[in-house]
Amino acid sequence: MNLSFAGCGFLGIYHVGVSVCLKKYAPHLLLGSISGASFGAVSACCLLCDLPIGEITSDVLRIVGEARAGSLGPFSPSFNIQNVLLESMERYLPADAHKIVSGKLHISLTRVYDGKNIIVSKFATREDLLQALLASCFVPVFSGMLPPKFHGNRYMDGGFSDNLPVLDENTITVSPFCGESDICPRDLSSQLFHVNLANTSIELSKQNMNRFARILFPPKPEVLSNMCKQGFDDALRFLHRNNMITCTRCLAVQSTYQLQDVLDDTTFEYDPDCEECKTHRENALVDDLPDTVMTIFQNAIDSANNGLVNWVMQQRGMRAVSLLTLPYRIPVDVMYATFTNYVGGNVETHAEQYTVVGNVRVIRKRCVRHNNTMTRFVACTPKMSKSLWRLSWRIIRQLHGFLYSAHDRSEVARVYYKLTMDKDEHRLDKRRASQLCVTYGDRDIPTEPDTFEHILNVTNHNDALLAYYYLDSDNKMKMTEIYDVTDADTDAVQSPTERDLNKQLEFDNDWSGDLMADDQDEIDIEEELDRNIFSDPESEWRSRAKSYSIDSAASSESDQPESDRPITFMHAE
Amino acid sequence: MGSELNIATTNSSFLSRAWIGNIFSMLWNWTGGWLSWTQQSDTMLRNVEKTILSCVKTVYKRFYVDIGSVVGQCDKIWTISLNDEAPQTPLVMLHGMGAGVALWCPNLDALAATRPVYAIDLLGFGRSSRPKFSSDAEKVEAQWVESVEEWRREVKLNHFVLLGHSLGGFIATAYALKYPERVRHLILADPWGFPEKPANVYEKYQLPFWVRAVATALQPLNPLWAVRAAGPAGKWLVSKTRPDISRKFMNYVPDAQTVIPEYLYQCNSQTPSGESAFHTLMHGFGWAKNPMVRRVDKIHPDLPVTVLYGSRSWVDNSTGQLLTEHRPNSTTYVQVINGAGHHIYLDKPDLFNKYVIEACARADEDTSFTTRNYENTEAPKDTNPPQKSDGDTLTSDNTIPKQTQNSTQAQTS
Repeated sequence: MNLSFAGCGFLGIYHVGVSVCLKKYAPHLLLGSISGASFGAVSACCLLCDLPIGEITSDVLRIVGEARAGSLGPFSPSFNIQNVLLESMERYLPADAHKIVSGKLHISLTRVYDGKNIIVSKFATREDLLQALLASCFVPVFSGMLPPKFHGNRYMDGGFSDNLPVLDENTITVSPFCGESDICPRDLSSQLFHVNLANTSIELSKQNMNRFARILFPPKPEVLSNMCKQGFDDALRFLHRNNMITCTRCLAVQSTYQLQDVLDDTTFEYDPDCEECKTHRENALVDDLPDTVMTIFQNAIDSANNGLVNWVMQQRGMRAVSLLTLPYRIPVDVMYATFTNYVGGNVETHAEQYTVVGNVRVIRKRCVRHNNTMTRFVACTPKMSKSLWRLSWRIIRQLHGFLYSAHDRSEVARVYYKLTMDKDEHRLDKRRASQLCVTYGDRDIPTEPDTFEHILNVTNHNDALLAYYYLDSDNKMKMTEIYDVTDADTDAVQSPTERDLNKQLEFDNDWSGDLMADDQDEIDIEEELDRNIFSDPESEWRSRAKSYSIDSAASSESDQPESDRPITFMHAE
Repeated sequence: MGSELNIATTNSSFLSRAWIGNIFSMLWNWTGGWLSWTQQSDTMLRNVEKTILSCVKTVYKRFYVDIGSVVGQCDKIWTISLNDEAPQTPLVMLHGMGAGVALWCPNLDALAATRPVYAIDLLGFGRSSRPKFSSDAEKVEAQWVESVEEWRREVKLNHFVLLGHSLGGFIATAYALKYPERVRHLILADPWGFPEKPANVYEKYQLPFWVRAVATALQPLNPLWAVRAAGPAGKWLVSKTRPDISRKFMNYVPDAQTVIPEYLYQCNSQTPSGESAFHTLMHGFGWAKNPMVRRVDKIHPDLPVTVLYGSRSWVDNSTGQLLTEHRPNSTTYVQVINGAGHHIYLDKPDLFNKYVIEACARADEDTSFTTRNYENTEAPKDTNPPQKSDGDTLTSDNTIPKQTQNSTQAQTS
């Protein structure tokens, strides 16, 4: 599954809402490629780098505040969107950002001299990445006069040629305009006509007209907040309609399916029998944007509305005065901008270089301070990854209680003991953990060597955790556990084929017959393979449980440490 | 019946010629040569349609069916028929707003493989005649239904599977309401005009003044006014605003990037008769004046309905739910096609064809059709098409369909 974010200028706040929802409820969707144009590319990059959404939101709001402050709004000479963007990206993107996103992030650009669309996905350096992002956000006249150069050519906003780059058939399109996209606002108007501008379908409705105007002229923080919330709701509705809201356990169940059922093409990722899934879905339906994001919006709204100055400025008379004085304020603004530019030794052509320009430096001090308070505030509230981690832990703990109270104390207790031991010994860092539970949901992931190594490392030390992932729990208390032999025979001892076998056993969906031969198993696995597992998963489990019951009884009685056993399947019923 | 409607039309249209209509017709005459439709374009439309249809492998016939005076004086409906000798239940296809028969070309072959297929240009669209419809929503609907019924009589079909897309879906439903004995199975592909207009549209979105002003200014204009107003630039406008439609034909039609916009332009730059009629049916921005939701419970309970819609569609896709809720004792199949938009038959032609063929196969097997009870309809089902009485229509000599066979292509697949 790939994602594609439409370019939309200041409406990009919609993508923030969508990202929050995807991160929370469908993290497996974020493993494929993400493409985007303009601000969509920036959001895609943030999403891939796993940047803290709270801080990003506050930064977007800060930019909006600056854009609204000038005499001509975002067209004021003293507001330079390119510099502001560059600054924020410099600050937030990690040093190895280009390595993280290379090959995954697809940025749509428009070549200036022939208007052709170019999609860039390889970034040699961090500067390369920044330059591509800046070029993708460059709207002529609005952002400046001279488009930035990238690899020797001048490029501008991808939105002029392909605003919604679709990589393949399985691309989920995200657009803040109501139209024929997967995740988009559904306006109440049932207008029949829509246009297709630069590959983005836009319905001809009043709401879209309003949105169109907001691309370059940012609205008030309240409106932005609503837009963000709308993004969250729309993404949630999409996930719900397509049965993509999964709980951590179901991701696991699904990976078990993959072991057996390779031929099935339908990406049915939702197990209707899973209680956890049901509750998760029910919770999701009534869910809202997380507090982190909401508080930031609330702050921004308050700061925009409170205070005597704001009150005075909002009066009709005052607005008229400010409108009337506009002709006088513009020259002052222009003079100010020119002066600061001159002082900073900055001319238009240098704006694209990575130098901090004079006027921005002045603003920057203020901004940094402002932003620090924001950051401090955000730090108090739970972050996205943290809550994801907590969620999975809570599920594990509940599961344990469930298992413990119900059945087979000795066996499960041992597993849990091991689990808790592991928790103490190898405290996973949060990011890795979230990646871990994410990874199991996706069938394409073994192709990513980087993540694959990650999982390999983590799971090697945490086979009990793995046991949890292979747990099927439709209140039937059955358990499948696969132990790998790497603990007994380290990689060095094993032959390459054996190592290969282990990998297959753990992660791959290539469940072949010779693996089963180790098990001295008599049932015909091939026959089971052919059967469609999704039709009746339970019967499958039952037959398995039966066939292995002797095995599992034997293994639970044996004194041999688990790690010494070769491949063992245990079903505790 | 046709003449009654016709008289009513002329009366009401005379009254409804409000000042806006006058001004527009004046403008039309004034700009005359520049904006008006030339004879040459009619042949162009014929040729471009033929080019698109060249991708159809099955042998097909194209002909005009003279349906007499239903709306105008002498209305003709442009028809394409495939495999019409086959014994199975025929399938009749109604296109959507602003489209024409040629747009079905990715589907015709697959559908015609199992049964006779008829696709028509609705009255007022494509190559069919463009009479002036009534200005009353209910009458417009009745006129369209009547035109389809007259057409059915002329081509001598007893019963058929009726498939409608978008506006065609609305008309198909209206037809099934009036003539349930003719329809074996109703297939609605992303139909328009089902849900009620929500009351709180404007309360929910506080829109700025300028947006409302623009919307109000555009309200009295026909939906595709811009295509005609653009004059010579219309074709360019179509290709720029709807490049997605041409892209969908890439695999079927050679040179789709120029041919498809040309076809769409030619279809919609003529007198906007069907378009104005659709505008009459509309209430506000795209809602139906008489939404089907008020009437779906009156669809014959034994008539099975299949609803297909795309997951990305912008037409409200609660139609399937509406139908199942309002017809609790009847069969309604709802099928969502993932990744498809409003033009499902173009977005996912294979899936679409598969579902339509399945629905048709169900209609073939459906034995209850012969035993359906039509108590509330005065015309009992008989095997012969009812003879038209001569006094009914102005063109009484047309009991035999006048088949103007423009071209008969015999290509081997």
